Amino acid sequence: QGTAGAAFARTGMASLLALAESACTARDESAAFETLSQDEAREFEAIAARILPTTDTPGAREAGVIWFMDKAFGSFGAEWFADAKMGLAEFQAAVASEFPGAGRFSDLDESDQDRFLQTQQESGFFQLMRTGTILGFFCMGSYGGNRDDIGWKLLGLSGGHASWQPPFGYYDAEYVSQNDVQGERHGE
Amino acid sequence: MANETQTSFRNDQEVDFVIVGSGSAGGIIAKELSTKGFDVVVLEQGPFRKASDFTHDELSVLFLNELLGGGQKNNQQTFRDDESKVAVVQPNQPAEYAQTVGGSSVHFTANFWRFHEVDFKERSLLGPISGTNFADWPISYAELEPYYSRVDWEIGVSGAPGPFDPPRSRPFPVPPLPVKSSGALLEKGAKAIGLHAQPAPMAILSQPHNGRAPCINCGYCMSFGCEVGAKSSTLAAMIPQAMASGRCEIRAECAVFRVVTGENGRESGRVTEVLYYDPEGKEQAQKARAVVLSANGAETARLLLNSANSKFPDGLANSSGFVGRNLMFNGHSATTALFEHPLNDYKGVQVTRIVHDFYDSDPARGFYGGGGIDARPLLVSTPAMYALAGMAPDAPTWGKAFKERLAHDYARQMFVVGHTTSLALDSNNITIDPTHKDRWGRPSLRMTYKDHPDDLAMAKFLQGYSMQMLEAAGATQSWAMPVHEQNAGAHLLGTCRMGDDSGSSVVDRYHRSHDIPNLFICDGSSFVTSGRGQPTMTIMALAFRAAEHIAAAAQRNEI
Repeated sequence: QGTAGAAFARTGMASLLALAESACTARDESAAFETLSQDEAREFEAIAARILPTTDTPGAREAGVIWFMDKAFGSFGAEWFADAKMGLAEFQAAVASEFPGAGRFSDLDESDQDRFLQTQQESGFFQLMRTGTILGFFCMGSYGGNRDDIGWKLLGLSGGHASWQPPFGYYDAEYVSQNDVQGERHGE
Repeated sequence: MANETQTSFRNDQEVDFVIVGSGSAGGIIAKELSTKGFDVVVLEQGPFRKASDFTHDELSVLFLNELLGGGQKNNQQTFRDDESKVAVVQPNQPAEYAQTVGGSSVHFTANFWRFHEVDFKERSLLGPISGTNFADWPISYAELEPYYSRVDWEIGVSGAPGPFDPPRSRPFPVPPLPVKSSGALLEKGAKAIGLHAQPAPMAILSQPHNGRAPCINCGYCMSFGCEVGAKSSTLAAMIPQAMASGRCEIRAECAVFRVVTGENGRESGRVTEVLYYDPEGKEQAQKARAVVLSANGAETARLLLNSANSKFPDGLANSSGFVGRNLMFNGHSATTALFEHPLNDYKGVQVTRIVHDFYDSDPARGFYGGGGIDARPLLVSTPAMYALAGMAPDAPTWGKAFKERLAHDYARQMFVVGHTTSLALDSNNITIDPTHKDRWGRPSLRMTYKDHPDDLAMAKFLQGYSMQMLEAAGATQSWAMPVHEQNAGAHLLGTCRMGDDSGSSVVDRYHRSHDIPNLFICDGSSFVTSGRGQPTMTIMALAFRAAEHIAAAAQRNEI
């Protein structure tokens, strides 16, 4: 079974998130963050928005990744919050040294943000932000991100992708048209 | 979530059987014994989830290990690759199995390959392999075949015969599931290089069968539970019948920590009761005339070792010293490719085509081993796992170009996975960790494992052909993921092997322990060899067979 392969894939990732129940509270646009300070939220969101930027399609910002992070760092990912805070402090110090007087990362323009992130790609903090961004972009909306299924829609998945019918893709459609596989096609 | 009308037994009432574990083996044995009129208590450490409890929640299932009992935070298993080292609690769980009623048959991918004749007698055919415990099984394929057919029909397997299949006494009950693009491409690539793809036998219903609904092609099989009960877990196929018998109580969230043997008179050297923590964490005891351990190939061994007492100082049923030894995972290789058009491999069951041309070992290769190959969405079945671990090596990891690659590649990528034999070694084993404890306070499972060089060679051999097939099928880009020594396994095999010789095996050919007459063991631990990578079909066939012999012995008053 693929679980061994999945285990292999998870190596090093399972530890990124602590294990706890996550309450699925309703999102409220006007609500304050429960876990993050305004400064943390602003910086984390700015980083997430460069990892999955807004282009001709919505990005991390529109998907509400920051709300996922707020929930994660307050519950199942709480054990990583201290690392995130410490990492942000170092990150901001490096921004201040690279761009004197420019303020915070979120104050930089996008090209400066990208140039700076190029220098941070190997850091644990960046990897944590990247993991949080991806999980927030693609995991179920009940965790605060993936608003309006923005993450799934990017990949061509619709809705909750509850069930599908063949043909599933180009090559099985081609196969069925070339082979006598009625039984398989229709599950007969 | 347990059935409110389910039978219940008093703890101080001696039941006929206590079964530890409700998975692939335990679920079948519970159904068989209870419907034959025996009183059965099943102790399952996981909760009693039902089909409607299963979700498509990638975060919870894949990252928070919802079905694995919460993962290492709770289980605290330790791992080392060599017995000279101190084992440590690593982030990923070494023995990966589901903690839920139905066990790992709930979350498995449902590949259902039968073993072939050679799997049972390969040692005789090939000769010894030095430094290993390579051995024949005490039973043959022919002896197990009727039980494979029972699994096909009573558990529910979709498929069609293939060119390398062993003989079968009955056809598949339902036809193969609809072919996917990954299956079509594997078949195309196989044909192009002279190999032979065949429809994958899957324990997932393509049509209604035994009153159960068929697959809706949602794609959430691998690591997930099936929300419509189409996956042929024991939860879907066996537990309802066991409970309907009125003689089987499923006690969920009950974690067994010791099997007790009697000290005096008639009870001396026999199992008398099983101790467990109930859902509130309170110690309980259940008396039984006989005990069946089906806790899986890692936990069964751990329980026997944790049950050591003055009469059995090395653990129960361990006079041979073979309890915990010969752990086998099966080896794996992963190869992946992109194609021009969308495959959408996240849709439908994971596997629709397999290649068994390399099933048999071939001395000309220069190493022992055999295997099978399948096409599946290993790391493209769910979005976050794909973005984190599945993308092409040249794909950017963040930014606009990352987003563009995600949007383009997700639908166009597939994996080909190789599955191999594992050799039985003394040095690959389950023991008790001297330091760590799990969330119940039970001394932790300690795993020591290093793939035999032949197992790795076989995985690389299959990877070479996997790559050739992907390229022959027209891949625009293909790459191999490194084959490395494994530090975790979902196939937990060999740790209480069956055999006729009580000096080199733990159970006899009928799954009765050599040392304790009313202690039976049936699960992946019973395996003598590992097969070619899909063990559950054989675990289930063994379970039907074991239950028949256990019931007959009980009826003859020979337990």
